Amino acid sequence: MGEIRIEGLTKVYSGNVTALDRLDLTINDGEFFALLGPSGCGKTTLLRTIAGLEVATSGRIHIGERDVTKMSPGDRDVAMVFQDYALFPHMTVSDNIAYPLRIRKVDQASRAQTAARVGAGLGLNGLLERRPGELSGGQQQRVALARAMACEPSAFLFDEPLSNLDARLRLEARTFLKGLQHQLGVTTVFVTHDQAEALAMADRIAVMEAGRLRQLGTPAEIFHRPIDTFVANFIGSAPMTMLDADLVRGRLYVAGTTIEQEVAVRWSGPDPSDGPVVLGIRPEYVRVGAFGPMTVQATIRIVENLGATVLLTAETASGDRLQALVPDGTQPAVGAQVELSPVAERVLLYDEEGHLMTPATQAAPAPA
Amino acid sequence: MSDHAADAAGLGRPRAAAFMAPALLLITAFLVVPALWTLVLGATNYRLTGLAAANPQFVGTGNITEALSDPGFGWSLWLTLLFVLGSAIFGQSLAGLSLAWSLRSAPKVVKAVVETLVLMAWILPSSVVAFLWVAYLSRHGGTLNAILQTPGTDWLIQHPMASIIVFNIWRGTAFSMLLFSAALSAVPPSQMESARLAGAGTLAQLRDVVFPHIRGHVLTNTLLISLWTFNDFTPYLLTAGGPNHATEILPVFIYNRALYGGELGYGSAISFLMLIINLVIALFYVRLLRERR
Amino acid sequence: MSPQAFLRRVGFVLFLAVVTAFWALPMLWLVTAPFDAHPGLTVRWPEWTLDNFRRLSESPYAFSSLRNSVLLAGGAMILVTVFGALAAYALSRVHVPGRGAILYGMLLLSSIVTGTAAMVPIFQLMFTLGLIDDRTGVILVLTGGLLPAAIFVLKDFMDATPRSYEESARVFGASPTQVLRHVVLPIARPGLATIAVWALVNAWGDFLTAYILLRDPTKTPAGVVMYTFYSEGGQANLPLISAFSVLYALPVVVLYIFVSRRYGFRFHGGIKS
Repeated sequence: MGEIRIEGLTKVYSGNVTALDRLDLTINDGEFFALLGPSGCGKTTLLRTIAGLEVATSGRIHIGERDVTKMSPGDRDVAMVFQDYALFPHMTVSDNIAYPLRIRKVDQASRAQTAARVGAGLGLNGLLERRPGELSGGQQQRVALARAMACEPSAFLFDEPLSNLDARLRLEARTFLKGLQHQLGVTTVFVTHDQAEALAMADRIAVMEAGRLRQLGTPAEIFHRPIDTFVANFIGSAPMTMLDADLVRGRLYVAGTTIEQEVAVRWSGPDPSDGPVVLGIRPEYVRVGAFGPMTVQATIRIVENLGATVLLTAETASGDRLQALVPDGTQPAVGAQVELSPVAERVLLYDEEGHLMTPATQAAPAPA
Repeated sequence: MSDHAADAAGLGRPRAAAFMAPALLLITAFLVVPALWTLVLGATNYRLTGLAAANPQFVGTGNITEALSDPGFGWSLWLTLLFVLGSAIFGQSLAGLSLAWSLRSAPKVVKAVVETLVLMAWILPSSVVAFLWVAYLSRHGGTLNAILQTPGTDWLIQHPMASIIVFNIWRGTAFSMLLFSAALSAVPPSQMESARLAGAGTLAQLRDVVFPHIRGHVLTNTLLISLWTFNDFTPYLLTAGGPNHATEILPVFIYNRALYGGELGYGSAISFLMLIINLVIALFYVRLLRERR
Repeated sequence: MSPQAFLRRVGFVLFLAVVTAFWALPMLWLVTAPFDAHPGLTVRWPEWTLDNFRRLSESPYAFSSLRNSVLLAGGAMILVTVFGALAAYALSRVHVPGRGAILYGMLLLSSIVTGTAAMVPIFQLMFTLGLIDDRTGVILVLTGGLLPAAIFVLKDFMDATPRSYEESARVFGASPTQVLRHVVLPIARPGLATIAVWALVNAWGDFLTAYILLRDPTKTPAGVVMYTFYSEGGQANLPLISAFSVLYALPVVVLYIFVSRRYGFRFHGGIKS
């Protein structure tokens, strides 16, 4: 009922700016779906095109059974919550929530009743007669949500729903939104530039760049197996360490060490051709000490305290920089010579074009 | 991203055109057409009555050459120049600046009173202020004579230009005062304090700190009020151009010759010259604004 | 206090005193004469009475002219606000080709084609249209002159209103007229009120346009009638003039006080303060 299917969607602005480039995407009914990417990648354009605020240059959009590509925004049966909530300042909270019903010509009494019910469900009791200007940021967000819920649409569209809240409130709101969406079971598409937010809230994520879809998958898939170096760099609180390496006859030469059979034999497909590759490993999966087939000698240069963890930046003899995230209290001092071992199962190899080479047949690694 | 989010309500081009239509119609009718018409009419010898009313002849630039050799026009132009120079460029600007500067350090009550008085002079309707000044300057019983102890002086007859210049300063200073007030408050206090600590007196502060900051505003303000003063008809309400053409500034000259005297063609030619002068001043103003942006 | 500082202080006080006197004196008559049983031209302590106002009804044109002023000013206010708002909204939201040029062109035009510079062609135009001695004509001319600046200000105002409000309403199914009524106009109310007051005050104080376009004394507004009261030959009827001046000037003064209380009369001439 609330499935959103996008076929070959293209949006070109005057001046030959391509905001969306032949996108194909299916959002499942009831899914909490994130559109993630840097600014200018087209995620907001995509959201607005689904809403009908932008007209696609070519391609089709289906919501449920209906082809809504040519429909005006009011007929698509979607509700949109904007970044600034767009609560009408001259109307009370109750009137704001009931606004979609007013357009649908529901009578005043029923409108007020629905507004009260929906508002109560979001903890807005007692605020119904106030004006939006008198509410806190969190309350305003809930009013905007209530307004979207009041018309019981097929899908919710959220444009950066959390960016107007301050940092502490944002985390609470994240949990709240996730719970609410799960409870309502309505298809929800939200746009964010914050990868942590997308990973935490979404069932599936579409990572976009320059109007194209880079990767589509669950948070776990995106985090553990970013499909190219762009996604790899974009995801993760601490950036993934990328090291230039050479693959020669099944052996990996990187950071002054050679990885022998252990890594090389895991290719189950055709052997990758020799040549320069990029090795990616997250600091979370680099340990201090000699474990596993890949061990690198390095000198600790920078120590950053992150609370419960410490981020180490080390330099190898070959001049490469390698980062490791270790529990607080176990970090070596600056200048210490240590051995760093990436967890073999977490190592990812990217070819010259930045595409992922490591096959997916690798079994999910046991917790270290 | 003007294309992107512009049409928020989904107006669409045709409806937008419909929305703009009434306003554009009125503006075309009462601004564009008259401007063009001045050109056309100014090239004829059209009069309200007589032969030329029924059968106006095309005289080309005849009106303009007649105007340029008409001593009345030359005299009127000269008077207008004096008027603008005296009451706008020097009078209102200086008065506005000195008021804005002094009131900065005046107690709140004084500031409120003075500003209100100056503003009242600006917003009261023109016929009312005109009569107030007629009464004020009147020969027998005028308050000015009572205060200056100069009984029997008929200011509007004996010193007509001075009277209307002072009147216009009184009337128009409010704008300059407000403008300079805003401009002065935008001068960073830290710079003024640095100057004061370095030993600069008021004049030096004005010259070295304040003036560079407000120089642009002085220029744009002067242009604007010059434009307004040049076009100001209000002195008519005091003297109607008299006594004996002594205060016949250009707006009054046009009225007297064209609408009162019926020489519409000639009056249009003068209006045309006036439009040109307005255009020049306005273009200067726009140019200045662009440079400062 | 040093002698220089003292002198400076004295100079400062003197300057302010002179300034205050210069501005206040001509206006004093307006405060004393209307309430004076036998008003003269000089300012003096009045013999308090309200008789002069009662006598206004003896003049055939006093009250009718005030009514005309209300008509003209009200008419211009309504037209300027409505037409200006519609045009400003369209210009603000829809990408009309060359809208920047249109706006600046209009503004430039209204500064150049002033009432004074255009008095001859306007007279001629209205004569041709048969609108001489017609109050509607005056309203139209006044509106035309005030519209460019009004549109300029209103457009600026609407540009600053976030579009998300209108888009939000649109996604909820509101038609463009509903968006205008439910969302845009209520939010733009302060800007609309300012322009309405500004247009009203301008039109109320107009002299020239009414003076050249109206003949019938029963149609002329207060500005022109006021002039005829004191410019016609013979002894000026001071009780009449004084009372009339107050009534004519009062609405403007009241509006000023109201607006400056509400919004603070701080227009900047283009400066951010």
